[in-house]
Amino acid sequence: MFRKIWRNRIEFYPAIAIFIWYTVGVLLNSTVVKSRPGIGTLGWITLPTVAVFFVAVYKTYRGLPSEGGKS
Amino acid sequence: METMISAKNTVSAASDEDRRLTYAVYVLLLLVIIFSTYLHHFQPQVFSVPDNKNIEAWQRPSFEQTTIHDRMTAEEKERTRLVGIPMAGDMSYLITNELIMLLLSWWCFRHARKHYGFWMASCFFIGSFVFTGLEESAWILSGRYLGGTMSLAPGGTIYGTYWFTKGFGWFVETPVSACLGWFIYAYSCVWIAGRVFPKLSLLTRATVGGLTAMLIDMWQDPVLTSPELMNWVWGKADWLLIFGIPLYNFVGWFLLIFLFAIFWEKLPQIVRKYGQHQATIIFLLVCTVGSVIVAAAIFLICFGIAGTLASLAGVQQTLHIPPGW
Repeated sequence: MFRKIWRNRIEFYPAIAIFIWYTVGVLLNSTVVKSRPGIGTLGWITLPTVAVFFVAVYKTYRGLPSEGGKS
Repeated sequence: METMISAKNTVSAASDEDRRLTYAVYVLLLLVIIFSTYLHHFQPQVFSVPDNKNIEAWQRPSFEQTTIHDRMTAEEKERTRLVGIPMAGDMSYLITNELIMLLLSWWCFRHARKHYGFWMASCFFIGSFVFTGLEESAWILSGRYLGGTMSLAPGGTIYGTYWFTKGFGWFVETPVSACLGWFIYAYSCVWIAGRVFPKLSLLTRATVGGLTAMLIDMWQDPVLTSPELMNWVWGKADWLLIFGIPLYNFVGWFLLIFLFAIFWEKLPQIVRKYGQHQATIIFLLVCTVGSVIVAAAIFLICFGIAGTLASLAGVQQTLHIPPGW
């Protein structure tokens, strides 16, 4: 599985880019905000985005060409 | 050689002249960035760049006329007056941030080039970079120079719009990292919408892409504008603040990605009709002039129309949703 992903890594570049943005740029930064209680809870608002992100990654993986007859 | 347009919306830059034109635009973009960066860091008086260290020197808006001022405790206000914007002078932090954004942008560009060809990938990159850079700079500079001169009910006096406090490289008055971020955001969200809903119409996919980005932004903006980070600062002006962020920010995020996604996917049709050379010029014209028109339209929708309707409905002052934010 990992070899298959690595060989087709370009297909996942947009997913990796938005994932790093989300985790480092928003999620990690939210932990330093102490002045506003509830800022972490506000993160639940992004749940639909997180859901469609994982569907997109899954569909991309499923759409990869199979290796040696195995998908 | 003829321009090639495949069924998959790929446009391959077959002509040397078109490729040269694309490279010329990249060089021009780089020159604008170098010049803007020089002006921002070494000639800040040209664009009246607010001082990150001396908060008391802020004008239009002053510190008291920003939304962050109302959010801060007395202790936070005192600390901000003493030390200025957190981490704004830390060049290693700013350069690292920009390098990471460059790497993420490169990944998105590689993906776009593989699937849509060099020309389409370049159009997405240059277009989104210029579109957002000019639109944001139009907002920032109009607020900076017109702040305090206009009053609209129910928000009252428009003390200014907003401005970015941190950045190593600059495109006019927008940090390069913000322009790159917008490219990453727009491309990834359009990619997500395309992967998850491939059979839906372009209009629906653009809507999903815009909403996907806007939802992340609804969390990102309250985090990045908090007193601990202050990556950008809002002037008081608006009649509706959602999580402490003006309504027009979210309208802007949605509209920019929605409109850009539609325009970009229509590019192959423009190439078929006018040829690649003219399509490049049309694309750049729409991205430059269009960004300013969209900025003005958002102002009209959020302040003029929505503000007037809210005022007629009896709203007397700025609404905070939820209260206390």
